[in-house]
Amino acid sequence: MTLVKEAPARPAGKRSAAPAAGRRGRRRENLAGYLFMSPWIAGFLLLTAGPMIASLYYAFTSYNLFTPPRWIGLDNFTTMFQDPRWQKSVEVTLKYVVVATPLKLLLALGVALLLAQRRRGQGLYRAAFYMPSLIGASVSVGFVWRALFSDDAVVDRTQKIFGLDVGGWIGNPDYVIYALVALSIWQFGAPMVIFLAGLKQVPQELYEAAEMDGAGPLRRFWNVTLPMISPVLFFNVLLESIHAFQVFGSAYVVSDTRCGPADATLVYTCYLYQKGFKEAQMGFASAMAWTLVIAVALVTAVLFWSQKKWVHYEEAAK
Amino acid sequence: MTSATTSPALSAAKGRRRHGSIVWHVGALAVLAVVLYPVIWVIGASFKPSKDIIASLDLLPTAPVWENFSGLADGISGISIGSFFWNSLMYAVLAVIGVVLSSSLTAYAFAKIRFAGRNLLFTLMIGTLLLPYHVLLIPQYVLFRNLELTDTLVPLVAGKFLATEAFFVFLMVQFMRGLPRELDEAAKLDGCGHLRTYWSIVLPLSRPAIITSAIFTFINAWNDFMGPLIYLNTPEKYTVSLGLMMFRDQEGVSNYGSMIAMSLVALVPVVAFFMAFQRYLIDGMATSGLKG
Amino acid sequence: MQQGGNVERRTILKAAGASLAVAGIGATATACGGDSGSGDGTVELRYAWWGGEPRTIAIKKTIALFEKKFPKIKIKPEFTDYEAFWEKFQTQASGGNPPDVFQNAVGFLRKYDKRGVLLDLKAQADAGNLSLDNFRNGVLANGQVDGKQIAVPVGANTMALVIDLKAFEKAGVEAQFGWTWDEYFAALQTIQDKLKIAGDTGYFSIMYLYDLYLRQNGKAFFTDSDLGFTEDDLTQWWEDGYKRVKSGLVADPKKVEQAKPKSALSAGLAASEFTWDNFSIRYEGEGESDYGLAPIPTTDGKDTGQYLGSLMLSAFSGTKHPKEVAQFIDFMVHDPEVGEIMGYDRGILATTEQYDAFKPADANNKGVAAYEDEVAKAGVLGKITPHPSGADVIEAAFLRIGGEVAQGKTKPADAAKALFSEAKAAFAG
Repeated sequence: MTLVKEAPARPAGKRSAAPAAGRRGRRRENLAGYLFMSPWIAGFLLLTAGPMIASLYYAFTSYNLFTPPRWIGLDNFTTMFQDPRWQKSVEVTLKYVVVATPLKLLLALGVALLLAQRRRGQGLYRAAFYMPSLIGASVSVGFVWRALFSDDAVVDRTQKIFGLDVGGWIGNPDYVIYALVALSIWQFGAPMVIFLAGLKQVPQELYEAAEMDGAGPLRRFWNVTLPMISPVLFFNVLLESIHAFQVFGSAYVVSDTRCGPADATLVYTCYLYQKGFKEAQMGFASAMAWTLVIAVALVTAVLFWSQKKWVHYEEAAK
Repeated sequence: MTSATTSPALSAAKGRRRHGSIVWHVGALAVLAVVLYPVIWVIGASFKPSKDIIASLDLLPTAPVWENFSGLADGISGISIGSFFWNSLMYAVLAVIGVVLSSSLTAYAFAKIRFAGRNLLFTLMIGTLLLPYHVLLIPQYVLFRNLELTDTLVPLVAGKFLATEAFFVFLMVQFMRGLPRELDEAAKLDGCGHLRTYWSIVLPLSRPAIITSAIFTFINAWNDFMGPLIYLNTPEKYTVSLGLMMFRDQEGVSNYGSMIAMSLVALVPVVAFFMAFQRYLIDGMATSGLKG
Repeated sequence: MQQGGNVERRTILKAAGASLAVAGIGATATACGGDSGSGDGTVELRYAWWGGEPRTIAIKKTIALFEKKFPKIKIKPEFTDYEAFWEKFQTQASGGNPPDVFQNAVGFLRKYDKRGVLLDLKAQADAGNLSLDNFRNGVLANGQVDGKQIAVPVGANTMALVIDLKAFEKAGVEAQFGWTWDEYFAALQTIQDKLKIAGDTGYFSIMYLYDLYLRQNGKAFFTDSDLGFTEDDLTQWWEDGYKRVKSGLVADPKKVEQAKPKSALSAGLAASEFTWDNFSIRYEGEGESDYGLAPIPTTDGKDTGQYLGSLMLSAFSGTKHPKEVAQFIDFMVHDPEVGEIMGYDRGILATTEQYDAFKPADANNKGVAAYEDEVAKAGVLGKITPHPSGADVIEAAFLRIGGEVAQGKTKPADAAKALFSEAKAAFAG
């Protein structure tokens, strides 16, 4: 990794320049900055900020897409908080986030540690492990998953070896969420790659020094690897939690589009989608969406706050 | 390590390493077998008769059939399979071009230009990472409909050309920040403007980050279902992900066989794209994650 | 513009890409007739439907036929599966951009009429562009709401009981016209005892079956603007259903769920399933057994509560070409050749011209025809009852909540309460 110190604000050699030129230079920098930013700014205003404001407005209205939105104040929110299906979707989503995110990161880290070693065929292994993430949440994944987690299929038989006999998971409201979790874990390619990138940048000298001190592999992992990759870990935790809150496709295909049975895979965005696009309750759906935004923002804030306690940034990286 | 090692010690170390290597490969293959089991199931299923696919317990077909693949040649509902692939390819390629161009421009501004309001805009950009896209879906649809741009690729790729994919901008910003500042300082002293610096120095050096963004963009666009579903009306303009749904028939007989076969064929371009560029993936991620 | 203006207007535009030139010139959002004629008088209509490949291939053939006879009208087909169709339709219609002509079903009529999306075709019929004659068994009424003709039936279908013929035979039970629910469940019991499979796949979650049951008892699922039964009625219905799940008479909902998208009947989990008769073709395609249509059980030994439902064609109220749209619908529902091509894919052909033109050859079509014949002859066909706006949402809720009851996740009384509360929201939407 390249460690760069921020350059001084003004190039040393140009100090003789008149203050007027400096101001002009600054203005030119501003202009250049905004010119370079112009696609993003256009996109932000047109496709993000504008729609956001619109949906924020909808959140306080009754809006069925056909008749103009009608202002109803906080009604959507009060209905929502009392709605048993909304509560159910929150419960399902939280369960999913809390179970899937750590397991997925654990697997990603494990495989990344495996692949970080220089071995023959490394690239091929990496590609093979990434394979599930290439497939995405397509209909065929839905079929496979439903088949694997049915009665007497491979998962059922395996769990029976361990004395667990709950039958297939797909049709069982108490277990189907774990089939969903398994799908999330299975597609661990992106965090794996990010971990690999982090591992690659741990200076070899640190390991050698630790080895000299007589540290075993476990100690080395704990004292060297983990602190060194903690920024990457933080980044992954952040990204994967946000994704987990917004999961949709996998619930949609695993449950054969209905997010059931008995609403057992009714993740938050699935309910939002049903309300908005199937029932055309755009006001309610917007209120849901904004509640999600706020929840995710809170989780992000907590994560950022917590990083002071466990994430180690190198001094130079500032 | 040290040149003074004696030969028996050396061979012992070598032996240990070879031993470790075997253990490593066995371990990796074991994990891989579990991970790839579902993929093998899909491949197996594509050779099963359509009737046997749903809830099929066997990994491999008892008597493999080709009909699922050969059936693809006839197209579906009078539309050739090639048309779906062409549409998906157009979408994915345009998306990649859009993301690479717009995100790198934006990232350059964030990383290399000191302009007023930069920090505020950067915070706003990071903030958009948190947005569930459902929030934006309907207002965006209304916008594109008013512009009479539905049933074209424009609504699908407009966001890509306007750098709305914050993750990639972020990735590139972090990468560009990691590039030695001396380089662009030197370029500035040589009288290069920002455009020149961007184009001939920063962009080429940012290749790993750009390729990483390209890979993810390609995969996402190729697998995108919701976007095409909402915006495309003419079946001849459907992408692969929509085309797959056409094998489904809630009121009659679904052709699951060809559906699986086509989804398998649809994997080929993504896998090829990934294989071709994956060696850049790690480098592209390398500098991005390390700074907060 | 004036009525009867079939004069070709070459005056306005002579654009090279004629098909592109359709865009809004002289558009009128009313049903007062008159076309907006472009350059050479060619107009383009968007025609959308849902359905599988066989339907699409057949419809495309009929479109080709139409374009040959009406060279001035070009049809642009749009098709997807059912779920995607209605989501897409909703977003398009809300944006004032739905297709000019589209397939429609009873549950959506009031919903989109209320939202002003559907064209009243009466005016076009009066103008002679569309004939409303020769519809069989009074199915034309299926497309009428508040005196408006907002849809025209292409076919007629009715609820039926699909049975696994081999299982019924092996168990030695027979389905008979006029059999009662008690007799039906007794037959299922025999099947369960002898064959160790369930009798039914989950009848109590099907809104249209409950509708029949209610009709047998002098009620109906819907009134003009509300539900036509009480919470207690529904609690009873679901309590009975859940009892039968627990006794194994109805297939284990976990297994039924797991078999999807295959039907539990074709997966061999149960011996019978209620569905629309024209859907019955799927079972032969999916399952290993032989399947046939059987009569709906009754309460009084006679009345099945059945009526003919319909798939229909509707037009967009804001279409720029109401006259051509009417001509197109007219052709699609009356032309004998179209009937021959379509067969019973969308139900028994609705008009006599088409019905007479098509002679079913395969077993499935013959079975469907014989079934509806039999039902009609039994004289039990009633009139269709209203489907208020929101009926589609309630149907989905009924299926979902019924599933929760089956899984034992919701008590029947709570489930009934939940349905009523969701229905209230759906009617208001």
